[in-house]
Amino acid sequence: MEDLNELKKIEQYVDQCMKCGFCTFFCPIYQEELVESSVARGKIFLTKQVLKGEQQLSDQAMDIIGKCLLCKACAVNCPAKTQVDRVIVGARAEQVRQQGLPLLKRLIFRHVMANRRLFGWTVKLASKLQWMIPGKQGRMKHLPDFLKALGQGRNIPAISSVLLRDQVQEVNPPRDSKAPRMRVGYFMGCATDFIFPETGLKTIEFLTRHGIEVVVPKAQSCCGAAIYFSGDLETGRMLAYKNMEAFKDVDYVVTTCATCSSSLKDYKVYLPENDRQRKDFEAFSKKIKDVTEFLVDVLDIPPEEFHLRKEFQGKTITWHDPCHLVRYQNIRNQPRRILQALEGSTYVEMPNADRCCGMGGSFSIYHYELTKKIADRKVESVKATAADIVVTACPGCMINLSDHLQRAEMPQQVRHLMDLLE
Amino acid sequence: MISESVLVELQNILGREDVLTTREILKTYSYDGTSQWTHEPDVVVFPRTAEQVSAIMKLANAHRIPVTPRGGGTNVSGGSIPVLGGIVLCTTKMDKILKVDRENFTATVECGVVLMNFNARLAAEGLFFPPDPQSFLAATIGGIVAENAGGPAGVKYGVTKQYLLGLEVVLPTGEIIQLGGRTVKNVVGYDLTMLFCSSEGTLGVITKAEFKVNAIPPAKKTILAIYDDVAVAGENVSLVLKSGVIPAKIELLDNWLIHRIEEASPLGLSREADAVLIFEVDGMAEAVEKEADKIIEIAKMNGAREVRPARDQDEANRFWMARRAGFAMIFGRAPTVLAEDVTVPRGQIPALIRKCRELSRKYDLEIVVMGHAGDGNLHPSVLTDIKDSQHFARAEKAVEGIIEAALELGGVLSGEHGIGLEKQRFFRRALGPTVTDLMKNIKSLIDPNNIMNPGKIWD
Repeated sequence: MEDLNELKKIEQYVDQCMKCGFCTFFCPIYQEELVESSVARGKIFLTKQVLKGEQQLSDQAMDIIGKCLLCKACAVNCPAKTQVDRVIVGARAEQVRQQGLPLLKRLIFRHVMANRRLFGWTVKLASKLQWMIPGKQGRMKHLPDFLKALGQGRNIPAISSVLLRDQVQEVNPPRDSKAPRMRVGYFMGCATDFIFPETGLKTIEFLTRHGIEVVVPKAQSCCGAAIYFSGDLETGRMLAYKNMEAFKDVDYVVTTCATCSSSLKDYKVYLPENDRQRKDFEAFSKKIKDVTEFLVDVLDIPPEEFHLRKEFQGKTITWHDPCHLVRYQNIRNQPRRILQALEGSTYVEMPNADRCCGMGGSFSIYHYELTKKIADRKVESVKATAADIVVTACPGCMINLSDHLQRAEMPQQVRHLMDLLE
Repeated sequence: MISESVLVELQNILGREDVLTTREILKTYSYDGTSQWTHEPDVVVFPRTAEQVSAIMKLANAHRIPVTPRGGGTNVSGGSIPVLGGIVLCTTKMDKILKVDRENFTATVECGVVLMNFNARLAAEGLFFPPDPQSFLAATIGGIVAENAGGPAGVKYGVTKQYLLGLEVVLPTGEIIQLGGRTVKNVVGYDLTMLFCSSEGTLGVITKAEFKVNAIPPAKKTILAIYDDVAVAGENVSLVLKSGVIPAKIELLDNWLIHRIEEASPLGLSREADAVLIFEVDGMAEAVEKEADKIIEIAKMNGAREVRPARDQDEANRFWMARRAGFAMIFGRAPTVLAEDVTVPRGQIPALIRKCRELSRKYDLEIVVMGHAGDGNLHPSVLTDIKDSQHFARAEKAVEGIIEAALELGGVLSGEHGIGLEKQRFFRRALGPTVTDLMKNIKSLIDPNNIMNPGKIWD
């Protein structure tokens, strides 16, 4: 029997499950497939069998256990408070420990994504080659996702011609040239850097106008979410220390990516190998703020000081809760408070606003057919609001929502909350 | 083991995607909500129509293959565990709500519909299905009928059988039969509908049910009362019912749970308190006010240490949340929990609780008591660990003691969980040989080859 080091670390969470089956009601995957192996109870039972030595951590077992959006809908609703996400990540980490990373993932995680400059070059190269792919009607161009979404008929947004990193200064003083209220680090995140740089520029502008010195360290890296949620904890730790070093001299680290803010905060949950790391990650966690939470809870900006950009005047807007905001960080009211304060637009709450959009990072690459079904339910929710604009705060959700709204030939635009603010 | 040719036939009936044989997937159909038993099936099938169920049953009957029906897999008596292998017939893909008839207060649903979804649909029409098993987020209609599920609302609204008007059932030999009808009154021969209600999947596969449903009462109110002595709480239940007030729910929590609630999400309950009762009254607004006042008056006059009507719906929700979290708190505190389901005549509740405490001391175990005080259905839970054989043996002795006490007090083995595997060893003792054999004869008349959920209810 294998020594199961990574799995042993999460055994206590496996033992929390009392098999009540309530997770079936909340799991977006189970709701499509209606099969026990899709849901947390089944995955946890199998993991338990592995721990007992009654089941190998076979590829078949991992196909079942690993097929998870990590949306945490089961975990937050579990009567026994079972930390399902930690079980899934632990099982993936055990698989990586036993088998190593598959070649493609190893190449991407350890050599491309973990190397900020190389990642940037790769993306730039891809953007230069976009013209080779036939364009499609609509707001986006087809682009072969270098990760491997090729041939799935997916609408993937164009990569920006100039990356955010090449458009920003490392230090951005407050606009009023007074002494800064505080010094804040802006964490770009890969998707904002490569695909949505304008969100980053608007955020930096907004913050500097509110008396803040915004630092954008060149040494920052990928947050590591896609990497450590896939079980590569080692590269995750390496990135964590790179980012902690890059942001060591700021009061707060603010990001406009829900996944980044949650994964930076949660280094302490998934990554520590020893007490020293735990302490380091906990200290770093305290500095991290999602931008929605930063504006409302830290800066305490009064509602009348949020202003809508001209182009959105008269529009009806609705909000989609990213899993990484609402369940990973319990940020639910802050974005709504901002949106409802915007004079000139009408806010409509969508049904099941906090239901996962089906993206789940690389989940959508491996299980795109399932992603479509889950996203279709979100599209129905959007339809019910008759809103003009779907607002959210996670580039991952933005990419996925745009894809499926476009597939359904719906007219809605998808925007980041910071895109709306003057 | 099932032969390759039978698997091919199953695939011909259902299509490939609805016949699962991967070893790892089979393991996820080896359990239910209990903690003691597991057994893997040889195959899991997902029919979508009664005709497909019929074809599966004919095939299984011809080859003498055991068939265990399963819905959400939430039952807590071992009923949906395929102890003899064979086929697990999973009904989760038969999940359509076929009709909600507002004029006649009836609804027609397929067996795989989840209770929560059924109630959400009914609520859109101002209706509800009163039986409220606490597994409502995952439990499916087939299992709810087959286990005759109840819940807190039993005191005023009764259990599933009070709402069951008709059934479509596929017999173990494959015939599709219609039982009952769509009317409340129906006396045409033997009441076979009720034979299938609480049959625990041993007589056939329930594929469709016709229910009576109620209009949602316009008002409700929650009152929490705290007692220094659980016996006084028990007497309060009787006094309230004697006063003519029939609350929708009367739930009891003991001192152990009071401690856990105060640790997890405090309601400000005194830790010395011996028991808490939570009452809910519902109906017309004026009546609800009067009934609530009556309960408060009775409790205050008759020994309650404190009476707290919920100020608003938020507070009421917090009280009920604490009650609902009860089982999670219990299961979180021990590797194995033997959750009992005995039911006694309502006046005997204090006696049963006293007995539980005596057994707890005698066997040096923690026994937590909560349950539906209003209808006499209690869930004493024995905290143990199946890996610790000595401790577990004492726990099993304590369970025996609880059951013996319940029977002596004029009660029954199970109020709402069913017999399944959990209580087989007490069954013959509780019913006597004549009745047990009569039931077995009925079973063999309907299921001559004993393929329908074999190994359950009796040894």
